[in-house]
Amino acid sequence: MKKIIRNVAFGVIGLSVAAASVAGPEEDRQAFRKFYENRFPQVQPFGDFQNGVYSILPAAREQWEAIEEFPPYELSIERGEQIYNKTFANGKSLKDCFGEDGAVREKYPHWDKSRGMVVTMELAINECLEANGEKPLKYKKGAIADVSSYMSYNSRGQILNVEIPSDDPRALAAYEMGKEQFYTKRGQLNFACADCHMHTAGMMYRADTTSPALGHATSWPVFRSKWQEMGTLHRRFAGCHTNIRANPYKAQGEEYRNLEYFVSYMSNGLEFNGPAARK
Amino acid sequence: MALGLAMVAPVAFAGSGTTAEHIEAATAAYKQVAKETGYQWTVSVVAIKAAKKALEAGDDKLARKLAHDAMDLVEATRTQAKLESETWKMRVPK
Repeated sequence: MKKIIRNVAFGVIGLSVAAASVAGPEEDRQAFRKFYENRFPQVQPFGDFQNGVYSILPAAREQWEAIEEFPPYELSIERGEQIYNKTFANGKSLKDCFGEDGAVREKYPHWDKSRGMVVTMELAINECLEANGEKPLKYKKGAIADVSSYMSYNSRGQILNVEIPSDDPRALAAYEMGKEQFYTKRGQLNFACADCHMHTAGMMYRADTTSPALGHATSWPVFRSKWQEMGTLHRRFAGCHTNIRANPYKAQGEEYRNLEYFVSYMSNGLEFNGPAARK
Repeated sequence: MALGLAMVAPVAFAGSGTTAEHIEAATAAYKQVAKETGYQWTVSVVAIKAAKKALEAGDDKLARKLAHDAMDLVEATRTQAKLESETWKMRVPK
């Protein structure tokens, strides 16, 4: 077991990326983008990063495009539409919170100044339900993923434009917390998000190729072949943490909302293209 | 508590306290590190549960070993948290 402590210490050595602790979010984003453009110059146009691992693996892309002809998330969109249009006990529906077709993806995540927190679309969906006397949905899969599928589908083509308001230092603090989450090693296997999805993006871990983090936030919710069902971004965060033997945080808790805030900001300028199919 | 549960620095287990106390110390240390750092390893919980199970089954030697393993994992978690607080910024691209 002493070996574990030694290995944790040695795991730090050899990671030689220049420090940028004083850079602001926009400098971070530009450096982030430049990293992937340099790493994967074959991804053209730049917007193709929205397709995740399929932007860097031609053979997998071919299979994925074949899947997209009969996308496995179609039923989820249909179920989501039914839920979206369903009348609550008080006579209202999700339309009263999000409009006729729920095409509001571009508004999330955002910083809520009045409450001092990041608000994600799934959080907002449940807040709408609760405000109208309805039972909230569980955050990782099921009905929440279906509603999110419907709203995301109607929002396709909208551009990520996450803002970090300069007049509220708490927003920057939330962004910085998400940034720290992304770059910090966790779990017994001692991985950070950046280890798999930045520094070794495109390489193989067992039978899988890790996707670039640029574009991670565009395509959720996702029908994952491994799950054989839809799942939300926070479900994936939790799964990754479990894989590296770290106890996952609570879905839609502060840690994952701030992490979503960070990875979304890093993907600013890309199109929303959810829901999506992934392996 | 015999093993000083308030201190979460490396604890010398050898020879002192009952196995149940060692398991309790590992559990308390796990919770304290989780609270102080936000870091928790799934394998630490697995080790603690395995220690309890072994003790219940009457295998004191195995239970004590597993309790020690659990404490080692908790200490490694603490080390990871400390190192990462100082080094995560090195991974941010400029």
